[in-house]
Amino acid sequence: MLPLLPQFICAVAETAMAKLIAMDPDAKPRLARLAGKQLSFRLKEWPTTLVLSAGNDSLLFNQHDNSVDCAIVTDMASLRLLRDPSQLTRLIKADALQIDGDIQVAQQYSHFFQQLNPDWQQRLSLYVGDGAAHKISQSLLQWQHYLNEKSRALAQMGGELLQDELRVSPDKAELAQFSRAVSELAARTDVLQQQLATCRES
Amino acid sequence: MTDKHNTTHFGYKTVAAEQKVSLVANVFHSVAAKYDVMNDLMSLGIHRLWKRFTIDCSGVRPGQQVLDLAGGTGDITALFSKRVGPTGKVVLADINASMLNVGRDKLRDLGLVNNIEYVQANAEALPFADNSFDIISIGFGLRNVTDKDAALRSMFRVLKPGGRLLVLEFSKPEQEWLSKVYDVYSFKLLPAMGQLVANDKESYQYLAESIRMHPDQETLKAMMQDAGFAEVSYHNLTGGIVALHRGYKF
Repeated sequence: MLPLLPQFICAVAETAMAKLIAMDPDAKPRLARLAGKQLSFRLKEWPTTLVLSAGNDSLLFNQHDNSVDCAIVTDMASLRLLRDPSQLTRLIKADALQIDGDIQVAQQYSHFFQQLNPDWQQRLSLYVGDGAAHKISQSLLQWQHYLNEKSRALAQMGGELLQDELRVSPDKAELAQFSRAVSELAARTDVLQQQLATCRES
Repeated sequence: MTDKHNTTHFGYKTVAAEQKVSLVANVFHSVAAKYDVMNDLMSLGIHRLWKRFTIDCSGVRPGQQVLDLAGGTGDITALFSKRVGPTGKVVLADINASMLNVGRDKLRDLGLVNNIEYVQANAEALPFADNSFDIISIGFGLRNVTDKDAALRSMFRVLKPGGRLLVLEFSKPEQEWLSKVYDVYSFKLLPAMGQLVANDKESYQYLAESIRMHPDQETLKAMMQDAGFAEVSYHNLTGGIVALHRGYKF
């Protein structure tokens, strides 16, 4: 691993998070509820522990191995599933997620990130004006809506297709029986071929 | 280091010990206004990561008392200030009033005002009570101190038992080839950049010379141990161009 890479990641994440928090007027009161609580996070594929700690008006990122309120260790594949609380028990049972300490701290951080709603339109209007910012924002929302619809329709169509295919596709036993029948036919053809060859010779 | 005739180094020059303070002060009065810009230029911004690494090794917690010695324009103070929170305190101390003023203005502009105090202080005789701080950091400052041993003893005195000292300073590159590249950079490019950006070639010539005259990793470690620090260790950064020394007071 590159030396100082964790510090670089922490610096970028801290700066980006400060900007996002500044763009959400409701973020600071929610952040204040997390003040003083520390959550560490480590991926199995990357043995570096990143620590999030909340101040009164900023979220800080550090890299150390000191004790924290809650420590999470997981892998890349499970990372996306962490957003869904109903998956947590399954992930823990499957050894894909380890949580040490106060799980409520992890939930509070997760809740904070999910509720973070930066006012992009307001920030954009500083550069392009209110009207243009509104139009750009509306267009982006329409695009997002369109893409969400398309992806939902695609997922639904894919699901239906698979279900239809499942209905007509043979099950394991049928496939084995078909395989046996083909083998038997091949054996009988071999025998027939040998008999024909014998007839020709005589 | 001072010798028995009370002389010391100022870059490659040998000067009277009492003269060094004013010579160093002149350097920093001269570079204070452009200090941050030059730091970013000279290190390509990597100094920010070195300072972050220092914070990561400090084990700082909310509510702690921190002394950022030779804190200059306040980069390390800013990082500590957010981490100790409203119940903690960071004292930004520097011997140079110009640097302290630049630091104070910068931190105020960043909105960091509640838990920071500013003190003009000489590291060799710190004006604080014994056992006052949980953490002391000195970033790129120790090499400018006339009597480094006295400064380390003074830091040991004001550190609380269980507290830690972090010395972030230029050091000796680990590889010979890096040392050669670094020499060319320090003695050719650095003064030229100083002239171009800060209109001050001599100060940056002094910077390069003072780095070469600073004790290497092992020597500084021994000096910290002599001052009373325990479990002293160091971590080379960017091939040893910079080293972070850490020691505890037990």
